[in-house]
Amino acid sequence: MSEPTPDADGESESGWIERTVHRAIRRPERLYRVLFYVAVLGFLFGTLFPLYWLLVIALTPRELLTTVGLTPNGFHWQSFIEVFEVVPFHMYVANSIMLALGTTAIVLVVASLAGYVFGRLEFPGRRPLLLVVLAISYFPPAAFFVPLYRLFAGNVSLLGLSSPNVLNTPAALLPPFTALFMPLAIFILTTFYAQIPDGLEDAARIEGTTRLGALVRVIIPLSAPGVATVAVLTFIYVYNEFFFSFLMTSGEFTDWSPLVYGIRNYQTQYTQLYNLMGAASLIGVVPVAILVAVAQEKIVSGLTAGALKE
Amino acid sequence: MSTEPASTGTDSEERRRSGPIVFLTRWIEGLSETQYAYLLLGPVFLILGLVAIWPLASTFEMSLHANSLTEPLGEFVGFDQYVGVLTGEKELVRPLFDLDYPLQSAIIVTFLFTVVSVAFETVLGFGQALILDRSFRGRRWVRVAIILPWAVPVVIQGMIFYLMFDPSVGFASAPLQQLGILADQPLNDSASSLLIVIVADIWKTSAFMALLILAGLQSVNRDLYDVAEVAGASRWQRFRRVTLPLILPAVLVAVLFRTIGAMRVYGLVVASDAGCSTVPTLSCLVVETLLSTNQYATAAAIAFITAVIIGVFVSVYIVRYAQEVV
Repeated sequence: MSEPTPDADGESESGWIERTVHRAIRRPERLYRVLFYVAVLGFLFGTLFPLYWLLVIALTPRELLTTVGLTPNGFHWQSFIEVFEVVPFHMYVANSIMLALGTTAIVLVVASLAGYVFGRLEFPGRRPLLLVVLAISYFPPAAFFVPLYRLFAGNVSLLGLSSPNVLNTPAALLPPFTALFMPLAIFILTTFYAQIPDGLEDAARIEGTTRLGALVRVIIPLSAPGVATVAVLTFIYVYNEFFFSFLMTSGEFTDWSPLVYGIRNYQTQYTQLYNLMGAASLIGVVPVAILVAVAQEKIVSGLTAGALKE
Repeated sequence: MSTEPASTGTDSEERRRSGPIVFLTRWIEGLSETQYAYLLLGPVFLILGLVAIWPLASTFEMSLHANSLTEPLGEFVGFDQYVGVLTGEKELVRPLFDLDYPLQSAIIVTFLFTVVSVAFETVLGFGQALILDRSFRGRRWVRVAIILPWAVPVVIQGMIFYLMFDPSVGFASAPLQQLGILADQPLNDSASSLLIVIVADIWKTSAFMALLILAGLQSVNRDLYDVAEVAGASRWQRFRRVTLPLILPAVLVAVLFRTIGAMRVYGLVVASDAGCSTVPTLSCLVVETLLSTNQYATAAAIAFITAVIIGVFVSVYIVRYAQEVV
């Protein structure tokens, strides 16, 4: 990267610089290209270095963990096995994945209907309802927490029936996750559905298809990229979620506690296990890293096609 | 939509059939557009009603009552909780707004965090978006690398920066301490912790900005660049006169989303081990008031004050956004 002009090899140092400067003045395109690749490398370093450094920490033997620099002080790959022996970390990751899949399924079905209605139908109350959905996303998660906690703990009674205690089950986590990510899903799908030309739906209706038939056979297939985007985004967001994951579960993997507790268990119970924190963090990133690598087109082009195109 | 395999029947045949599905289909056909819209919105508002609107209403009700340890709701006190919290009469875990202790006041800390991190994220995200908008060899993998931090779970993001800035394990604190930027125990010092949390947030969410701005960039009609080039516009002029005005709406929406997100920050503060007592953001204040002092009515009032602050902060954008989305 440091040599902007590969054909300048073999020149003396000062001659090389002079020639490069002359060339840059005469042909600025080349300079732009060099600057471009410098910027690319800069961003790559910035985004990847913290993850690389987790690997450095993970590979450093415990007794050498002081001011770990850019390379590991040793090569203790066994950390990646010890991680699972100290804490059943895989179970926490599995819990997170199950919760994320469940939330994604609910959000997809419900937000698709809403996105269709807001994107394609004109009816009184459309704007106020959209604003209600938007306003929900202003509230800090803490504003929902107390009533929901009491509800799920079985302390709310309606008509003499008290709610069942569902803490430490998915029933206490899926509803708040759904509420948190539904507004964004509705907004993305609204813009997606709004882009489908009216003519297609009209044609299907004239052919004698029913309303629901047109929705299922014409509209939903055409908005598949939007639906896939919402699925990927919701999965990643739930896997990311901290607030309710942290406060609604006990911390035991048998109680559906997700990744949050898997990672934090190394911090609270075993304060010295820095290398295992590093190893566990890296393992915890793997599922989303795979998803980003596989579905990057969905994440990027999905947003490109829908979320912002006014 | 017919249940029979031979569904090639004409309208008149269809009408002769009966059964719940056909009945349902015909009933839906008979609805007006408004009724149909509300029918399809049913599930959304059922779910949002149960897990968002009811809890919010219930929280609001709590905020109008006194704290009570025995009863679900204390005595009705109207807006006394709000008055107490806003005037500073009510003793909180951390002050809401106190100029004598700026880095201990929730509003100032949240505001600093939001403004600084969103500003840096916008600039960096813009840079990343400009790179991703060009085609070059290996772009696919550069894009994966740039998006990756955004997908990293908050708890892991916090862990990374906790380890990096921990004076005994990490390498990042020592040079910054020599420059006098960080304190001896950075994660116990408000200014240092705030800085670390901001850096961690910029690392993770610049990519989100980049994606939304990239979406704006890619919706720009490429012909406009050709026209500008033919007209003799320089690279900078093309950027300044063509790109910037066209993607400004996308940038504004991205800033809106990030501002709402940044003002609700909680997980990062806890996960990075800075802790709510060192970096008391508004969300932190709600949780701490609730869990450490058990004053849930006061916590409810702070939660609503937070929402109002967020609402005011972004109302400029809502007006814009509401006009654009329709």
